[in-house]
Amino acid sequence: MTETRKGQLLIAPALLIMAIFTLYPLADGIRTAFTDQHLLKETMKYVGWANFQRIFADEIFWVSLYHSVILTVSVVLLQLVLGLVLAWAMKQKLPGIRLFKSIIMASWVIPVAATVIMFKFMAQPDIGLINILFKLTGLKGLNRYWFGDMHAALPFIILLHLWRNVPFYGVAFLAAMQAIPASYYEAAEIDGARAWGRFIHITLPGIRGMIIVMVTIHVLWTFNNFDFVYLATGGGPVNATDVLPVYVYRQCWDSYTIGYGAAIGTVMFVMLMIYFIIYIRIYEKRAGAR
Amino acid sequence: MSTTSKSKKISAVLAYLIVFLSLFFFILPMLWIIYTSFRTQASIFTGKVFPPPEEFTLENYQTILSVTEFPRYFFNSIRIAALVTLASLVVSIFGAYGLSRFELRGKNLMIMGIFSTQMFPQVLLIIPLYLLVFRLLLLDRVIGVSLGHIILVLPFQVWMLKGYFDNIPLDLDNSARIDGCNILQRLLHVVLPVAAPGIMVAAFFSFVVSWGDYLIVSIISQSQRTATVTLVIKRLSGSLLIRWGQVAAATVLTIVPTIALFSFVQHRLVEGLTAGAIKEE
Repeated sequence: MTETRKGQLLIAPALLIMAIFTLYPLADGIRTAFTDQHLLKETMKYVGWANFQRIFADEIFWVSLYHSVILTVSVVLLQLVLGLVLAWAMKQKLPGIRLFKSIIMASWVIPVAATVIMFKFMAQPDIGLINILFKLTGLKGLNRYWFGDMHAALPFIILLHLWRNVPFYGVAFLAAMQAIPASYYEAAEIDGARAWGRFIHITLPGIRGMIIVMVTIHVLWTFNNFDFVYLATGGGPVNATDVLPVYVYRQCWDSYTIGYGAAIGTVMFVMLMIYFIIYIRIYEKRAGAR
Repeated sequence: MSTTSKSKKISAVLAYLIVFLSLFFFILPMLWIIYTSFRTQASIFTGKVFPPPEEFTLENYQTILSVTEFPRYFFNSIRIAALVTLASLVVSIFGAYGLSRFELRGKNLMIMGIFSTQMFPQVLLIIPLYLLVFRLLLLDRVIGVSLGHIILVLPFQVWMLKGYFDNIPLDLDNSARIDGCNILQRLLHVVLPVAAPGIMVAAFFSFVVSWGDYLIVSIISQSQRTATVTLVIKRLSGSLLIRWGQVAAATVLTIVPTIALFSFVQHRLVEGLTAGAIKEE
């Protein structure tokens, strides 16, 4: 057996599993989008573009899309900025920072369901820590269930994302920063570059690769994220926090209209694919220009 | 000179401020839920931060562990996460090693394909997956749920391990080959020991994803036979009259295994997770 054949054999199981349980479901999901399939009905038929026409007129779809975009953009941007701030702080050689670094990523490893419960409890009126703290600082009028508030619910979902991911960003950026040769900074210091200048001209370019990977993957993960919204609010109050993944889930598993749910899922997929293609184009152009 | 020492002082103050705010925001919620889990329902409802000592209790844990079905779900979660970790590790180690060490046609396309699965909406995949699992008679089976989780972790795991293997010098393989080792021997006896930290992180990743999953379990699990801790804490926290002390105790028990494992891999976690990202430099 040739070396190449052996290599193929090693990869085969992984590719096979992904083909059967990821690629096939994707293709079949897109096929389902063109049917009127219902979870409780035996028969189904192809309905052409009818589901997509329905999407176009579906107000909740547009609201969910709007929330999905707002959520993804603000979450990823805030994570990027706060992650950089955190990485900068952890880069300082100060007593206690090592211990801090070792515990700070804990929020990333615990189940989302647990995170949501912690915050739902803290957001309870009267007995939740957030409202207790408001009361202690004289802001008693703010006492409310924060996930049940039309205007506060979506910002609180953003907060949940930040709570989970900012430490991950911080530690990842720190790892990339530490890979930058110290001589770069020494040279800049001789040239009299200020801290801000060093950050812009050395640190940021130095961790560019890491920033690109973190942002790309988190755009995909955040846009596709289901459990934060579903577990915290289910999309409510009214539709104040509805996002596309949760809307798809409800269409499929609460209303059993899996044809329509699949159509919305297909639209999500197409949007992410466009994002991905644009990203690769820009990335290749940059790589070519260098 | 005095300006640098002054700016150093400002940096230190700023850094500690960030550290303090971070501890408050990222760590306090966890401590608060632990604190709550030892309080009585009545005590929680007083809204006091520091109740008198007699209002603390172990009752919540006793109830969760002996009255409710929580231990059973906990055991389900352990079984599923262990199976997922073991199976995905074997498959992804082989796959990543193949991608890292062999010149194959269409390799870049394969890597791109594996990475691009991250953009597939899980809520879309789960529809055909449900029907597939149903037809395979794996609905409400540990294997059915595990299968769903393996698909969740496999692409990222292969990508990450490939990056990790890429950082291990080829000379190691080559000298072993000259000594007459075949591919499996090389992988098992030469590469794996060196890659152990990366493997540990990969194992940790799949355990945590499986343990924390809600989406797939909520659809493939149909009964107590396969229900996991995430389903249960969601149900407990959604009841009409929420017993917050018990919810807190169940939540703490759900968090404990992940934090315990985290303490073992903590210092290698990011290095392992981002191996795929760093090596391209």
